[in-house]
Amino acid sequence: MNSLKTLGHPTSRIDAMKRVTGTATYTGDLRVPGMLYARVLRSPHAHARIKRIDVSRAQALPGVKAILTHENCDVIWGSGDMRNKRYLFNNPVRFAGDAVAAVAATDRHTAEEAMRLIEVEYEKLPFVLDPEDALKPGAVEIQAGGNLSPTARGQREPETYRRGNIETGFAAADRVFEDHYSSPHINNAQLEPRVAIAQWNGDQLTVFTPTQGISNCHTEMARDLKLAPEKVRVICHYMGGGFGNKNQNHDFELMAAVLAKNAGAPVKIEFTRKEDFLSVHGRWPTKQYYKIGVRNDGTLTAIQLRGYSGMGPYRKGTGGIAGIEIYQCPHVERQVYPVYTNKAVSANLRGPDYPQGVFGLESLMDDIATALKMDPLEFRLKNMTRKFQDQLEYTSIGLEDCLRKGAEAFEWKKRWHAPGEGSGPMRRGVGVAMGSFGSNLGRSSAVIDVDAQGMYHVHVGVTDIGTGAKTTMALIAAEALEAPLEKIDVIWGDTGRCPYSVGESGSRTTTQTGWAVVQAAQDLKRQIAEKGLPKGSDLLTATVNANPDPLRGQARVSFVAHFAEVEVDTETGHVKVTKYVAAHDSGRVVNPLTAESQVKGGATMGIGMALHEELLYDRASGLPLTAGYYGARIMTHLDTPEVDVLWIQTEEPYGPFGAKTLGEPTIIPSPAAVANAIFNAIGKRVKDLPISRDKLLGVLA
Amino acid sequence: MSKISRRRFVEGTSAGLVATTVPLRGQTKAGAPAKSAIKVTVNGTVHRIEVEDRWTLAEVLRDHLGLTGSKIGCDRGECGACTVLLDGKNVYSCSQLAVWADGRTVETVEGLAHNGKLDPLQEAFIEHDGPQCGFCTSGQLMSAKALLNHNPHPTADEVRHAMTGNICRCGNYNHYVESVLAAAGTLSADARRKA
Repeated sequence: MNSLKTLGHPTSRIDAMKRVTGTATYTGDLRVPGMLYARVLRSPHAHARIKRIDVSRAQALPGVKAILTHENCDVIWGSGDMRNKRYLFNNPVRFAGDAVAAVAATDRHTAEEAMRLIEVEYEKLPFVLDPEDALKPGAVEIQAGGNLSPTARGQREPETYRRGNIETGFAAADRVFEDHYSSPHINNAQLEPRVAIAQWNGDQLTVFTPTQGISNCHTEMARDLKLAPEKVRVICHYMGGGFGNKNQNHDFELMAAVLAKNAGAPVKIEFTRKEDFLSVHGRWPTKQYYKIGVRNDGTLTAIQLRGYSGMGPYRKGTGGIAGIEIYQCPHVERQVYPVYTNKAVSANLRGPDYPQGVFGLESLMDDIATALKMDPLEFRLKNMTRKFQDQLEYTSIGLEDCLRKGAEAFEWKKRWHAPGEGSGPMRRGVGVAMGSFGSNLGRSSAVIDVDAQGMYHVHVGVTDIGTGAKTTMALIAAEALEAPLEKIDVIWGDTGRCPYSVGESGSRTTTQTGWAVVQAAQDLKRQIAEKGLPKGSDLLTATVNANPDPLRGQARVSFVAHFAEVEVDTETGHVKVTKYVAAHDSGRVVNPLTAESQVKGGATMGIGMALHEELLYDRASGLPLTAGYYGARIMTHLDTPEVDVLWIQTEEPYGPFGAKTLGEPTIIPSPAAVANAIFNAIGKRVKDLPISRDKLLGVLA
Repeated sequence: MSKISRRRFVEGTSAGLVATTVPLRGQTKAGAPAKSAIKVTVNGTVHRIEVEDRWTLAEVLRDHLGLTGSKIGCDRGECGACTVLLDGKNVYSCSQLAVWADGRTVETVEGLAHNGKLDPLQEAFIEHDGPQCGFCTSGQLMSAKALLNHNPHPTADEVRHAMTGNICRCGNYNHYVESVLAAAGTLSADARRKA
């Protein structure tokens, strides 16, 4: 790969100084004059009808300025449910944490006191927590029409993908393997809890909010509040993570806007950490039944998956269980049932459809390799995808190199042994798993202007969730403009000043907004060549709404293979990850420094998913038990191994300088790699995430 | 120093934690909440302020002294984003009442740089890409500062133990440890990369 002037060299973030001096301003740090504070009262029951709600005592508390309940607020939160009408305040309430009322008062303590003065009489309803139970006859109906969430076309059937003929595939197999796996609800747990400020100036609404996409948030707020889009401005300068649960527009932003309207004053709404864990969303819990046919030489003939995803009571995410496309196989059938339950709502968390699906799939593939007495690495090299879904050519594919070079860096041949081999209480084992994630071209925009001093002002509608998007855009602009990085000024995070951007979700910013930046830079360079630099206070401006043609007959995909070594204490069930190599094909790496941070972070999050995290529920009461950092056992400094990052930089013909997706894939194979390493260490497999001590000791007993 | 990790501690006490996750405040009677006058030195400046007894130190720093560098991630002593130094010791400022800081010295992230010159920790955090989203960064810096104040040349393992109360959901622990070792001048090739 040719080397470039600015891209591809480790570069500190352009806003790093602000991040280390406490001067980066997050939404919670902002105050506007006359601002009120808002708090939300939530359902203490898994499923209940509100028979009576009395806010009179709360209303009478000095300092209380506005109260919303289902009785006086019928705003529909459009992005809260893709299939049903979800109000800001629903009756019945359908999960412990569903919003019941919101209060705005002169300070947060008064708002909290007022919440305690609201009287609610509930009639408890039956509830169901498990998606398979929710589909059984007699289960309580959570949404009208049944608990199987319909498809986009309104059909009550599972989300289905097929190619070939699954029965032909099993008939062609020498051996057929079947097993089932599960993964729990886990929370995104980004450090910054939800907070927004809504301020009206006449009929003009300004919302300061941590969002992964100012453009989407803006459009959706205007839609739900029935305002013309130009009446709404969304601002997000710094934000403390999201990992998928700050996509789009959320209820708290709408609540703040309505409270502010009713109170006649700006409102800052704040969620507590417990609310953030329970009432936003986390990864959907799954149950996966895999059946795989294989010839004696290890060639796959059929892969079948029947899966169930618990969506909570609202359909906010796909509920997908993905990953089968990392294998070459002629006959595939996947049926996934997204099901309503009375648990917390489920939607996007990093790599949304994949890590749980890859955990189940790669666990069974490992068992098949073992049964066929094959090295799991060789088994994967033999069966890995060559064409997307065996049909479309990849624009570039570095999966084989991820496996081969990753294995070399990891010293796979030296470390791998037959599963369970070894003696004594401490056992070591190694595991590998692979993954992929689409890196499609798509619509986004950029505006670049240049002033008489030769300073380039790059306007992009990105927010910097932590990925370094601002820096990435600056680097791409500098490269495309052939200008030094110091001459690039990035204007971001404000719908009043920035054009449409796709949003920091689905790992799309570098590819899509980055491509718009390249296009705008090329236009501006042409203008400068023609007219020279502007004089005085004039500007030259290039505006691009890039909407590249979708690729025909080709698929643009990032690839990854992770290798983990664990040490299992068979007496206590403790697992320590002792070595970790992450090999990634994301095409050209724009900034190796921040990209490495992404990989280390995703792998770390995946190890937590493998070993620790679960939102546990009390089956008798339907109430959550582990909402919070301690309860969820989020990874700490002490749990985290050194993650070695290996770049497989394929020559990718499309997108900005050949850069492909990175953020989402980093977590995809991680839980599976750790699970496979544990299997290799002890020769027994835990099939339900997280692989906690009790489960490990259970399979060892 | 004890080597009991927070993870181990939490595993041993999870049942108790479940029962204490709901914050309980005393029923406030009608009328003004109790207040106290306190004197607290923050980043070298003496402040005499009247605080409500129920205000936390984090709340006073952020809402009343305008020092918003310390973040509130959980407000219940779990995440460490609000870490400050209280008489030189790193504490969760969300779990300290402001009245307890009376007569004491507080250092926050805003006090790390002097006369426009960054602390070596801040320099290293920039160079080694410590912050991703940056929300935990102030807390990571203050725990690192407390460590280096009493152990100027820590090992990687000592850094991990000293900072394990500071959660980073972006998962950038490797780069945080690397940054602290670099600032302390103990970043060896071996500690930096095993591979």
